[in-house]
Amino acid sequence: MREALYGFTSIAAKEFMHMRRDRTTIIFAVLLPILQLVLLGYAINFDVRHVKTTVVDLDKSRESRTFIAGLQNTQYLDVVSYLPDPVLAEQALRRNDARAAIIIPSGFARHYGTKQPPMVRILLDGSDSQVAGAARSALLRPIDVMSPNAVDIRLNVLFNPQMRTLVYTIPALVAVLLQMLTISLTSFSLVRERELGTLDQLMVSPVGRLGLMLGKMAPYSVLAMGELAFVLMMGHLIFDIQINGSIFLLMALAVPFILSALAMGLVISTVAQNQSQALQFTGLTNLPSILLSGYIAPRETLPVPLYMISNIFPVTHFIQIIRGIVVRGAGLADLIPSTFWLLFLTVVLIGAATLRFRKSTA
Amino acid sequence: MNAIEMSALTKKFGDVTAVDALTLNVQRGTIFGFLGPNGSGKSTCIRMLCGLLEPTSGTATVNGFDIVRESESVKRSIGYMNQTFSLYRDLTVDENLTFFGSIYGLRGEVLKRRKDTVIDLVGIGGYVDRRSGQLSGGWRQRLALATALIHEPDLLFLDEPSAGIDPVARRDLWDLLFDLAGAGKTLFVTTHYMDEAERCDETAYIYLSKLMVRGTPNELKALPEVSPEGTRRVAVATHQPPKALAVLKRQPFVLDATLVEAEIHLLMPIGTKDSDVLSALQSKGVGADASIRPIEPSLEDVFVTLTRRLDRE
Repeated sequence: MREALYGFTSIAAKEFMHMRRDRTTIIFAVLLPILQLVLLGYAINFDVRHVKTTVVDLDKSRESRTFIAGLQNTQYLDVVSYLPDPVLAEQALRRNDARAAIIIPSGFARHYGTKQPPMVRILLDGSDSQVAGAARSALLRPIDVMSPNAVDIRLNVLFNPQMRTLVYTIPALVAVLLQMLTISLTSFSLVRERELGTLDQLMVSPVGRLGLMLGKMAPYSVLAMGELAFVLMMGHLIFDIQINGSIFLLMALAVPFILSALAMGLVISTVAQNQSQALQFTGLTNLPSILLSGYIAPRETLPVPLYMISNIFPVTHFIQIIRGIVVRGAGLADLIPSTFWLLFLTVVLIGAATLRFRKSTA
Repeated sequence: MNAIEMSALTKKFGDVTAVDALTLNVQRGTIFGFLGPNGSGKSTCIRMLCGLLEPTSGTATVNGFDIVRESESVKRSIGYMNQTFSLYRDLTVDENLTFFGSIYGLRGEVLKRRKDTVIDLVGIGGYVDRRSGQLSGGWRQRLALATALIHEPDLLFLDEPSAGIDPVARRDLWDLLFDLAGAGKTLFVTTHYMDEAERCDETAYIYLSKLMVRGTPNELKALPEVSPEGTRRVAVATHQPPKALAVLKRQPFVLDATLVEAEIHLLMPIGTKDSDVLSALQSKGVGADASIRPIEPSLEDVFVTLTRRLDRE
């Protein structure tokens, strides 16, 4: 074991120096997931904002104006016009001047918060179902926030499905992006050294195979952990994703995820003969990871062989973990099977990379 | 004990035999020139001896260690300088030395002392903070040599150490190699340069994957195939060497004619007089200024003669 691990610290220090020297690549690698998070996050985001809205205020009271201001503050609605008559509001919708209309009845202030709450009518343009859905849920939100007595409680029954979609997809996207990053970090490392000839110089040294593999993984795992924290923070800032469970548990379980994904990159690096092959193999790994991991469709819908295959991708198990912790506030006890899988993959993939790499060729 | 002992060492890549049953010993403390044209199997042989490549058959020991069973021990005891520059170009001279020193287990004071020693030895002190990728060819080779020496191996494998560097750097590098040999190191060097081969203690020439000949430069020059009984070798100097060569090659008395550094080296029967050569030239209107002097065969003559003989067979 000591012999196998020989040279670990030397390799780790060297790889760290490469990282410092090749800042452009590293900065690009680190920023790319953020860019992808924003692009892909919005691409799957049905949460439409700034819906053009017209208002028919038949009450013209302080209360009605506060109500309208409250709606506007959500940013889901932009009040584009005030009309005197509900008939004109309907017209505005037909002409596509507005997509939503809010009609506040006279006596709104009088009935507000009483036992007979005012009936606010909402007209929605249903031609764009996504926008309609978004506007509908948006209109319910401020009412939701108010005291239950102030409004018609029937509106409270509905929830906001769009918000739930996002909370569900973003954590999985984070996992997918992180696996893509980590695999690309290591998949080039050995082939690059082979192409530069430096691998020969390493192979004539007494460096141990395991020491070489772990030494190559060490600096990148630190980088990837930082990246995970960074991406989670951006997910919170951009998409308002709250982590319901323990962030420390999430970070702890990210360690075997990142190690196994880095090891998978190293396996690719031992198989590929040159850098362009490494790039192809990385692409070949990423696509099934995205399709089979449960990021796009639930794994339960996969045919059995594909379901089995999906287990070899670390991201499959980390999606379970990150969704569990972020969405459901799961604890370690709830995540034991996924955790076990990740630990298993870490050992197997590091072992495979180490055994595949030979210090002498036949 | 010899530094290197090869016994019927063979490497096949599929149907292609890259090294064919090589049997060769290298004595300690010598500069051993391993010669042969491109693709003759020199690098393949070195890679086997360094434990990078497993032989197909045959055995070899390096510093007494079997290259297959004890390849890790071989690796600890040798230095290896690759054909192409194979250090980290994004790391500085000092960082490269630190890394390769540390990978051989050198730490702290010892590592620092070893670095100072090899930096001093190759004279690269002025460039320690320069990235190795920004060094010129000659300095890169010095750095590669320093790196190969960092763990004090007593046997060095140098695969074409002087390829692609300028003549001055080449001369400096060889002066360094002589210093190392003087200090008791064994050097196993491949080269294409015959002037370098002349300076080796012993040489071996491989051709078409087989060992063709081995010996000291003087032994090789005295080989009967190179200098057959009843022949003599002369150099013809003229201001039109290519034309003169064309003429001489057609003379019945010329056994071999080669152009070496603007002179024609002729092998001819001992009975052929200088005047025969001159009149042959003058009858074709070349070489009015020609002068002739007797010479010893050079190593280039040796290898050219031997290679042609083999090709004819």
